[in-house]
Parts: sequence; C-alpha cells; structure tokens
Amino acid sequence: MVYYDGKGDQLEYINVLKRLIYEDKVVGVIGQNTSGNQIAMAPIAEEGKEPIISTFATNPKVTVPEAGKLMRYTFRVCFIDPYSGEVTAKFVSQDLGAKTAAVLFDISSDYSTGVKDYFVKSFEALGGKIVAMEALKAGDVDFRPQLTKIKEANPDVIIMPLMFKEVALSANQARELGIKTTLVGGDGWPSLQLLEIAGPAVEGSYYLDHADVADPDLAEFRTAYEKEYNRPIEITAIMGHDAVTLMKAAIEKAGKAEPEAIRDALENIKDVKVLSGTINMDPATHNPMNKAAVIIKIENGKFVFFKKFQPAQ
Amino acid sequence: MILQQIVNGLSIGSVYAMIAVGYSLVYSVLNFSNFAHGEILMIGSFMGFFLLSVLKVPFPITLALSMVGAGVVAMAIERFGYRPLRLRKAPTLYFMIAAMGFSVFLQNLAIIVFTPNFRTYPQLFTLEPILLGQVAMGRLDLLIFFISLLSLSILSLFIYKTKIGTAIRATAYNYRVASLMGINPDIVIGIVFFLAGGTAGLGGMLFGMKYTTCPWMGALTIKAFIAAVVGGLGSLPGAVLGSFILGMVETFASGYVSSSFRDLFSYAIMIIIIIFLPSGLLGKNTSEKA
Repeated sequence: MVYYDGKGDQLEYINVLKRLIYEDKVVGVIGQNTSGNQIAMAPIAEEGKEPIISTFATNPKVTVPEAGKLMRYTFRVCFIDPYSGEVTAKFVSQDLGAKTAAVLFDISSDYSTGVKDYFVKSFEALGGKIVAMEALKAGDVDFRPQLTKIKEANPDVIIMPLMFKEVALSANQARELGIKTTLVGGDGWPSLQLLEIAGPAVEGSYYLDHADVADPDLAEFRTAYEKEYNRPIEITAIMGHDAVTLMKAAIEKAGKAEPEAIRDALENIKDVKVLSGTINMDPATHNPMNKAAVIIKIENGKFVFFKKFQPAQ
Repeated sequence: MILQQIVNGLSIGSVYAMIAVGYSLVYSVLNFSNFAHGEILMIGSFMGFFLLSVLKVPFPITLALSMVGAGVVAMAIERFGYRPLRLRKAPTLYFMIAAMGFSVFLQNLAIIVFTPNFRTYPQLFTLEPILLGQVAMGRLDLLIFFISLLSLSILSLFIYKTKIGTAIRATAYNYRVASLMGINPDIVIGIVFFLAGGTAGLGGMLFGMKYTTCPWMGALTIKAFIAAVVGGLGSLPGAVLGSFILGMVETFASGYVSSSFRDLFSYAIMIIIIIFLPSGLLGKNTSEKA
C-alpha cells in the first residue's frame, strides 16, 4: 500500500494521484474527504482509468459533475450534501423547533456552499425562514463583522457548515459577542481540536455526521485502533476503514486486482457491511444508497449521540 | 449594530497597528519592505505559546520574553542578512529578495520544527463579553486593544522623546548625513530592528491568543503592508492610522456590503491610495520605493 499526503492543496492532490496511477501503478486509490479536491481529482482518475473511492467527500459533483454525466471511476462510501442539507433542515425545525435560521458558510469551499444551498432549500420547503446568510473564507480568522450581522437578525439557530478550525474561531467570537444561539453544523466539525480551541463555546451544539464514533457496536474497532495508534478515534478513521473495506470487497467480487475489473465490480456492488452502515452502490450515481446520518451533540465536552436519521427507502 | 461594528473595526485595527508600525519603522530607515516581518511575528507567537503552555511562565513575563526573543531574532536577520547587503551598497531590490528568502526559509523551518498543526493558547479569559448597552466587547479583545495602544505609546515616546529615538529619526531622514554627524548607523539600525521585532513578536503573541498559532500565520503581514502603504510607508503615525482605517474598511465592507468581498475592499483601497496618493496619507515623498 502506497500513500501520499496531498497537504490540503488541490494541485498537490492532482500530482500525487498522477504519481499513483502512472508511476506506482496502483490498482485502486482510496481518496480523501474534501469535496473540492476530490472533484479536481475525478477527471484525472477518468483519464488514468483508475478507480478511486472517496472517504467522505459529500458534494454531489464529485461523482456526477453535471446532470447526465457520470465519473465512471469515482465512488464514495458516504452520503451526499443534498441529504445532509435535508437532514439538518429537518432536525432543526422538528427537533429544535427552529422557525428562523442564519447560515455562516465558507465561500471558498464547494462543500460548504453546497450544504448551504441544500439546507436553505429544505428549510424553506419546511416553512422556515433564513434571516441571515453570511460568508467567510477559509484562512480568515476574524468573523466578528459577519457574526454581528447574524446577531442583529436574531435567528433561532445558526447553521455552520464549516471545517473545524473556522467553527472553533467563529464559535468563540460568537460567544464573545454575546450570541447565545444554538449552533448546528455538519461533518466538517468532528475533531478533537474543535474542543481544544472552542470547548466552552460549542457546548450544547449539534452536528451531523456519518457515524457515531461512540457507537457501542463499534467498540471492537475503537479498541483496536486506539491500541495500535495510541490516539483517540475520529470519524476519519471509520470512513477510511470503510473505503478500504469496500475496495477489498470489490477486488474479491472481481476475482482479480485490476483497475478495470475493480471498477466494474464497484459499480453494482451490494450488501457490503462497513462500520458506518451497509454499502449498496447506486450504479447511476456511484453513491451508496440509503446511508443514515447521525446527529451528535456536544455535551460536557464530549461528542454524544443524539439521533439517527434513516432515509426513506 | 453600527456601534458594534465600530468596536469590531477598532479591535481588528489595533492588531494590524502593532504589526504595521514595525513594518514602517524598518521602511523609514532602510527604505525597503521587510517581508520577513511576518515570520518574526510567527516566531514571537510560537515562543509565547511554548512559554505559556509548556513552561507555564506567568503571562506578563511571557509577553516580555516573547517580545525580547522576537526582537533578537529580528536583529539577527538584520546582522546576517541585510547588513552585508547594506555594506555593499546593494540596490533596494536585493534587500527585498533577501527578505523574501528569509520569509520562505523561516516558514518552512517552522513547519519542520513545530509541525504544521496549529496551536491553541490556553484560554486565559472567559468568553463572557463585557456589555455596554447593546455593544459586546470580548475580554481578550479589550486586553489586546489596550496592550496595543500602550505599546504604541511607549514606542512613540521612545522615538520622539529620547536621544536614541532622535538618532533613529535622523537616520531615517538622511542616512548619510546622520552618520556624518557621528551617529553609528549599525547600532541605530540594530535598535530599529529590535523594536520592530519586539512589536511584531508582541503582535504575534496577541494574535495567536485570539486566533491560534501556525507556521504560516505571517501571511497576516500583507494586511499590515496595506495598512502601512495607506498610512504612508515610513510614517509611524501613518501606520497606525492606516491600520485603523483598514480595520474599519474591512469590518464595514463585511458588515454592510458583503462578507464575500472583504478582501476585495482591502486591496482596492491600497490600489486607490497608490494611484492617487502614492506617498500615503501621512507619508514622505520619495522617488523610489521598494
């Protein structure tokens, strides 16, 4: 198994993928979790005829960049943003009783902008009203101007589909501005550094994730992981493991370790049991069907399971 | 809300001010933009981080030590990087290139030594804001604001009311004549870099406390550069003025136009100033600026 660090840089990811395909000549690639980078890598995989499975890049464009076009070599093991937008909207309006919402999103991120769009669509369809929509750029550190506007609009909840660093900074700054509103986020949140930087600020917040890290069913995996790597488990470990499990299942189904055969096997694969659920691949979109979402609450400085949302069959 | 945004702008401006002042100070004496300034800020920030969280040194002492530490590093860069160029009477452009070289070198050294992970300072204050009517002020922000004003006042007292300060101003005004008058430029420049490094280190530590510390936080100095240009490169009051203007412009652009366009406004005012008022609001007029 060969691995490279894309360093969060799109160009770097393209380079290392090309290296894996043409120099290391691997039979399959396990991708990563940021949509923007995964979208950039998809055409490279197409050209190199190399199947790539993303761990949890959630923007729909990763596999279906535009209506009617499918990236034949890209797959994923997670649900997609329209679903997370929908679940978040349902959660805040039904479980939290929110009638108005403000959104703080990252304009430089495909993921964040996507989730924002889907959330707004679903929330308004449920009768909710968006009272403020503010943008930031990843890398910025001061969000008080945006947060002041949000405070002025007085929403019932603030939706923050951001990566954990921006969540931490904006949560701290929000509390410093006297904003006491509940914060709700997505799968960019889970990280121990979030608690390190902004523990008190995100206390009582919720976020949506692919699996409950503290799920008792996953205890065996958790113990093995913590023993091997000497650090607490995070969602990236679970999704990474799932992607590898899927790749293995595909190789077994194909009967041979060849990129083309693996790709064909992945397209129609069914009933692969992974840590975050069961993978039934949709051949039309290369997205697993019916993956559940969990809502996690941050309570007493810990990530606690709150609710599971199962998609309608 | 407008009062709150004004408070936000002043707060952001006070951080920029500390960094812009060091930047302008070096510019005033050597006539070039020290692009390594950001990395001195970063080193000050890491020093403060390790002193505070690992060695558990009390806060005021950490502040002082980080300032001194950063000042020393700045002096070292001057001694080994810029002085040889100065003695060789190299054109200003060479200084800039050297500065960029130091910047890249120090950044990558930091990535290797400190790892790319960002570091969080221990939280010294609660997040409960101090409320003045409808306006909320974070405690850390108030502290940063006051430390910034205090250090700027002390710096200006030093520059305008002491003999060494006069020597610095003389050297900035005219390097050659000042040395003819018996002022040793090496010593003066060393002190200038120490002061610039000190304010950068202080700024870095305060910035790290508020926003986390990482090897490439020096990128913040581009804002200080804009502030210094707007206020007039080489002018210290100009740097402060430019910083508060920049802070306000950024806040109001984010607050009232669109948060997506914030940086657009920051760079736009710099371009406008360069085109219409090239010496800045308070700056001196020179033919060549690097």
